Amino acid sequence: MLSLTWLDELCAFLSPEQMEVNESPHPLGNSGAVTVYPQTEEEIAAVLRYADRQGKKVVVMGRGTKRGFGGQREQADILLSLENYAGIVEHAAADMMVTVKAGTVFGDLQRELAPYRQKVALDPFWPDEATVGGVIAANDSGPKRLGYGAARDSVIGLRIVYPNGTVIRSGGKVVKNVAGYDMNKLFIGAMGTLGVLSEVTLKLRPLAKYESVVLLSFPSGDVQSIHSFAVSFLDTMMEPICFELLTPTLAERLTGRPVYTLVIGFEDVEKAVHYQEQWVERLCPKAASMAVLAGEEAEAFWRTFYTIAPNGRLTTSGGGVEAAVKIGVVNLDVLSVLRESELIADRCHVQIEAHGGLGHGLCQAYVRGSEEGVIAAVEELRQMAVRLGGYAVVRHLPFFLRQRIDVWGGKPAYFFLLEGIKRKIDPNKTVNDQRFIGGI
Amino acid sequence: MRKRPIATNDPHIRALARIVGEEAILYRKEDLIAYDCDGFTVHRHLPKAVVFPNSTEEVAAVVKYCHEHELPFLARGAGTGLSGGAIPLNGEVIISLTRMKRLLHVDLENRRAVVEPGFVNLKLTNSVAHRGYYYAPDPSSQYCCTIGGNVAENAGGAHCLKYGVTTNHILGLEIVLPDGEVIEIGGNGVPDPPGYDLLGLLTGSEGTLGIVTKITVRLLKNPEAKQTVLAYFDEVEDASQTVSDIISAGIVPAALEMMDQTAIEAVEAAAFPVGHPKDIAALLLIEVDGISAGIGEQIDDILTICRRHHVREVKVAESEEERARWWANRKTGFGAMGAISPDYLVQDGVIPRSRLPEVLREIANISRKYGLRIANIFHAGDGNLHPLVLFDASQPGETERALAAGSECLKACAAVGGSITGEHGVGLEKKEEMRFIFSDEEILAQTAIRDVFNPKNLLNAGKLFPTPGRCVETKQVSSTVK
Repeated sequence: MLSLTWLDELCAFLSPEQMEVNESPHPLGNSGAVTVYPQTEEEIAAVLRYADRQGKKVVVMGRGTKRGFGGQREQADILLSLENYAGIVEHAAADMMVTVKAGTVFGDLQRELAPYRQKVALDPFWPDEATVGGVIAANDSGPKRLGYGAARDSVIGLRIVYPNGTVIRSGGKVVKNVAGYDMNKLFIGAMGTLGVLSEVTLKLRPLAKYESVVLLSFPSGDVQSIHSFAVSFLDTMMEPICFELLTPTLAERLTGRPVYTLVIGFEDVEKAVHYQEQWVERLCPKAASMAVLAGEEAEAFWRTFYTIAPNGRLTTSGGGVEAAVKIGVVNLDVLSVLRESELIADRCHVQIEAHGGLGHGLCQAYVRGSEEGVIAAVEELRQMAVRLGGYAVVRHLPFFLRQRIDVWGGKPAYFFLLEGIKRKIDPNKTVNDQRFIGGI
Repeated sequence: MRKRPIATNDPHIRALARIVGEEAILYRKEDLIAYDCDGFTVHRHLPKAVVFPNSTEEVAAVVKYCHEHELPFLARGAGTGLSGGAIPLNGEVIISLTRMKRLLHVDLENRRAVVEPGFVNLKLTNSVAHRGYYYAPDPSSQYCCTIGGNVAENAGGAHCLKYGVTTNHILGLEIVLPDGEVIEIGGNGVPDPPGYDLLGLLTGSEGTLGIVTKITVRLLKNPEAKQTVLAYFDEVEDASQTVSDIISAGIVPAALEMMDQTAIEAVEAAAFPVGHPKDIAALLLIEVDGISAGIGEQIDDILTICRRHHVREVKVAESEEERARWWANRKTGFGAMGAISPDYLVQDGVIPRSRLPEVLREIANISRKYGLRIANIFHAGDGNLHPLVLFDASQPGETERALAAGSECLKACAAVGGSITGEHGVGLEKKEEMRFIFSDEEILAQTAIRDVFNPKNLLNAGKLFPTPGRCVETKQVSSTVK
């Protein structure tokens, strides 16, 4: 269908089986006229160097779980897939450090580390499909962010292929490092707009000896009693790994009970976990009911949990559209966000399932419904977040709707600095053009 | 501050005095001498003036003035920096933030606090301790260093093994950019503000990208229990192996510190001796904290590992008082060098933990080669070495030898895949050593970012990055060394 006159030029550094001409753009956008599958860093660099010199636009992708996250281009010239650029480069178990190629599937990495009783302390969505590079580029994290921290707390080094093909290293292989600017931070959550992550070095944490999940359901729906419990529990010396509140809609899907439910996770030696469960029991209001999941039950709970977010690799079933919104507020305001999201769902005639961490302030809302309903709900969620001094970013939305709504929600006052950074590193706007905030 | 009428015709001094007030500026030579260096004392240079603004607006006005008149300037906190980041190399106007030392807001329910940059690190913990909270980064100078300075250097400390360094605890910053514009990032402590992570970039940028005027930090709840272990070893190798085994046993200690024989000699001769045996090769100070029900198990594991590696003696602190004494002895370790040497130079290399034995051997070789004693006090758990090169600056040539020995220690760290600095910063001291770990292109990638923020390079110029176009620069030791 397409006659790509320049396809031959790619053959100078890629073999024909590493290229695939695409028939039509993807409904989530961020497609390419041709998809390329580099297998080495040199090939990544060659593709970028070529594109940068020839004025071609490149979209970068791991396995596509976040394809619906940002992007004002339906189709670039080249879709650079890192799917075939995967594997562990170095695992220094004694140093609790691992270096992986960016296309490595997150769950595969965790499985490789498990026999050493080690893990990457991060809990992204869709771990069995998302790649390490994608998780880092999109700064993904789940409820365990409270105990684990974010990608920025785990990444200690990166190799980045700059848009002109130069390979730049940031950070290193040691857990503590202040030599020069902390350049790692620039690329984490940059949505691939500053270059292609090639290798990621992560610090590791020991696997917990024991884990449990306490589910605390509040049938009365009385947000005030949840607030009181949260404040008193968070003021204790207990060390929950997550303290996540689920809306009744989401709780129904995950636990079968349509009531506000707190998910309190513990990871420690067994004695310390049970001790903390007892603390929850002691502080738990009478009207609430408590269930404890341990071992395989806890694992199964989390496995399901990490698949509740929309996944760009799956086609939406049935009618209507699906959106995911990340909302950041100050910790305890999560309660207001969740409560308000229920009202917004009613007003906009959509379904909203939401959860948020009362110890870290991040919420995720999954909105399903008609096009107009979803757009209206996203706008209302954003207004509410801004009212609370926070923000709302749309993490997943079909391409045609991304043209109607600014998924990033406006520019900060210091936007000129963000723009300046982009211009220094990618003056020709070669990589992931218009994928990020303010169209950078 | 005493008020004296401005007695100079220098129009810049007069203009700056109009911004901050006549009582809040120093410009006489005798007043400026105290500001000719920071905690890195081998280079000195007099500033043009020192101003003491009292608000963000005053900082912005001073910066705007300097920017318009092309006067070099830099920010300074308590001046405890160990890499010379606050040395006015180019006769800068020093913007001292020591008057901006207010605790602006504490919100324990949301575990955050807002401070001005001159607020002293330890005071924050002291302000919230009665409610059982604390601020985690704990550099050894925490009783006097400022949080603004901690942000500039991305300061660490003994307990960052488990809890992270400054950057892991910063939620928001207000910054005066080098042209005087004021911006706020992540202001009220909302996580992940959309856009590139400027909080992460600015933290540890050593005062070259902007001047921090307000900081929102994360507070932590005190751990329920804490236990501290002191272990004496006859062989450095055994102590090193103990460190590795504790980590690989899946224990994340809150702190894991090591001192070698020379260091022990010094701390025992100084103000806080605890009676360490003088003939041991190394000691480990290990602290675990967390839920009390789980601590005993971890301590048992640690004791077993110590014994497996031929520990001579190992004990668990029996009281908070004993624990505090052990820590005072450790935290004043650098200063203690004064008890056994007229001068010392501290280095700050980082290595992968597993390379500890070989790098310590290499440092011993360097010590022999230069004929200078080197003491080691360091954060063993995260591989952050602090070789302390002991010397006597009054002996001709010894300062140069000490600097060369220090640099060679960093080379040894870089050679095993480590870094030249873990928490002290590059500053003036280690800028040439940046080449040990970064290529010219990588250094250019960093200076390109600096140019976005600081295009005229008036703010703290000549720090952090090597002099362009010179692959090796012999260190010029200032003639003002005492």
